[in-house]
Amino acid sequence: MTEILATVIFLFSLFFLLGSSVWVGLSLIGVAWIGIELFTSRPAGDAMITTIWTGASSWTLTALPLFIWMGEILYRTRLSEDMFKGLSPWMRWLPGGLLHTNIAGCTLFAAVSGSSAATLTTVGKMSIPELRKRGYPEYMIIGTLAGAATLGLMIPPSLTLIVYGVSINESITKLFMAGVIPGLILSLLFMLYIVFWYFYFPNERPGAEKSIGIKQMITESKFLLPILALVIIVIGSMYFGWATATEAAAVGVVGALTLAFSQGSLTWKTFSNSLMGATRTSAMIALILMGAAFLSLSMGFTGLPRALANYIDGLNLSPIVLIASLTIFYIILGMFLDGISSVVLTMAIVEPMIRQAGIDVIWFGIFVVVVVEMAQVTPPIGFNLFVLQGMTKHEISYIAKTAIPMVALMVLMVIILVIWPELATWLPDTIRQRGN
Amino acid sequence: MSDWSKFIGLPLWFWLFILPTLISLICLFLQNKIEIIFKPIWKILDKIYFFSGIIAAISMCLILLIIIAQMVTRWTGIIFEGSTEFAGYAMASTSFFALAYALSKGAHIRVSIFLNLNSFTKKWLDIFALFISSIIATFFARYAIKTNFMSEMLNDRTQGQDQIPEAIVYILEMFITSPTNWISMWSNYEGKWIFTPVWIPQLPMSIGTILLAICLWDHLSRLLITNKSEIKSDIVK
Repeated sequence: MTEILATVIFLFSLFFLLGSSVWVGLSLIGVAWIGIELFTSRPAGDAMITTIWTGASSWTLTALPLFIWMGEILYRTRLSEDMFKGLSPWMRWLPGGLLHTNIAGCTLFAAVSGSSAATLTTVGKMSIPELRKRGYPEYMIIGTLAGAATLGLMIPPSLTLIVYGVSINESITKLFMAGVIPGLILSLLFMLYIVFWYFYFPNERPGAEKSIGIKQMITESKFLLPILALVIIVIGSMYFGWATATEAAAVGVVGALTLAFSQGSLTWKTFSNSLMGATRTSAMIALILMGAAFLSLSMGFTGLPRALANYIDGLNLSPIVLIASLTIFYIILGMFLDGISSVVLTMAIVEPMIRQAGIDVIWFGIFVVVVVEMAQVTPPIGFNLFVLQGMTKHEISYIAKTAIPMVALMVLMVIILVIWPELATWLPDTIRQRGN
Repeated sequence: MSDWSKFIGLPLWFWLFILPTLISLICLFLQNKIEIIFKPIWKILDKIYFFSGIIAAISMCLILLIIIAQMVTRWTGIIFEGSTEFAGYAMASTSFFALAYALSKGAHIRVSIFLNLNSFTKKWLDIFALFISSIIATFFARYAIKTNFMSEMLNDRTQGQDQIPEAIVYILEMFITSPTNWISMWSNYEGKWIFTPVWIPQLPMSIGTILLAICLWDHLSRLLITNKSEIKSDIVK
């Protein structure tokens, strides 16, 4: 009985606070505060600070600001022009032409940045005007970009995966490795969508690109080398066990600074802007994590997560049904919350549930990321929609409509992950053996 | 409510919650008549938020340096005791010092769907949200300080291998002891390295959460007086 009451009160106060536009992190603290005061005799405040302090000063979390910083530095370099220049010679041969630079550019930038918004702006800054100039249909330019930018959340380094790893105490390196193959498959799906468009709507194709020689192709793509080197160093050092996730992040920051310096785009202004920008973003995520840590403590006191896990277990759902219902749940949640918030908010409840059901937590991390990726492009609240609105001045509803096929592809990705879970679990298993 | 001891004759919750609420009510009723009093305060506070943001940024550079040092020492075989703890302290410092700065720059996220309904909700819901947030942040700050004091009183030490020079503790202790006792305090000084007392890395938590609470009350007063929110995000350019 108390459990039902607790659920109702938690849910009500959560929706009330979030709905009245109290900042997400503070809402979580507020809900947890109410929960502890009502259902336990423990002193709420002292318990809160102990939990928050342990979380906020943890070593695992240090990867977060550094990866954010790395992305911020690269975002302020000439990278977006270089990437477009370097990628377009290779993409013009594919059916669908330069639209593929949206996907390839996002995939590449996602491998050095953990944020979807940064990926979107970096790639879009260059590709939107260039693709428009060449006469590609607007809905394809916007849609593919909105969808592909979500790869920033999946391909390592990924902020969502760091946050997930910190919330459930799992190795961030393993989670990163698990994201590689599904991320590449998802970008392949996006590319297939462009190919499909090319053959299905031949009258929308723009005029053919003028061909260029192989020599020019190679000169143009030399711009890609530094960024590729950075990707290989950062991901490689984690894969081969030379560096922990945090150390790889530090290497990434140094590498990004070097790259910016060699390009001549490292001025005091870009340096301080990147640093302050990263400070703000990491504080934003840190506050949500603090709130979430306190909320899971508070819910733990009420026994709610365990009771719910037992209840779900008692229903004898097959894992497929459980995953399907969680998918729907996260999509609905994602309409109102951003990815990181919905992950930290639900982990206290969902973690015991999936462990009980015997679902691999690393696999589940990748699943969750694909699902919250959709949240980035689903209205009314979708971060990529806002960023794209700022960049293109289109209505949110129009942008969301162009992204519907990409959301469908992400749902397809969830199905693929359920059928072949090895896609996510294989790569992290190989590093585990290497470590021994 | 035994936890709320008296402070200058009145329970602590009066000073923390009721007093700022009363000030906010005054702002609501007098509006631009008192803007002249508040304007200089806002200017100073803006500088303080920015300054704490800079400290946060420096802490972030420290994380980077500590981690690089950790890697270098590992390769060269030198031992860097407690590097992970130090990185953790720098992490906490980055997060906490940046809280208020990030808020004033609109970096913290919120669900703004009802906020953007119409001009009525834009103002009144924002006021309500700021008020509730201020209360929560004040609660947060109050216990951060309490825990910080408790760690100092109980002389809690780190669980890790990190050590700091004793002098740091003495210099910081000078702020909370009266100058008349400074000489007797320093006479115990031995100049050795000690395991980090937890209250020192916890200082950023106290300062950062106080600033966050002040920042929220401050922006509430700004909204009440000027009728427009100064928390604007620059993410969407």
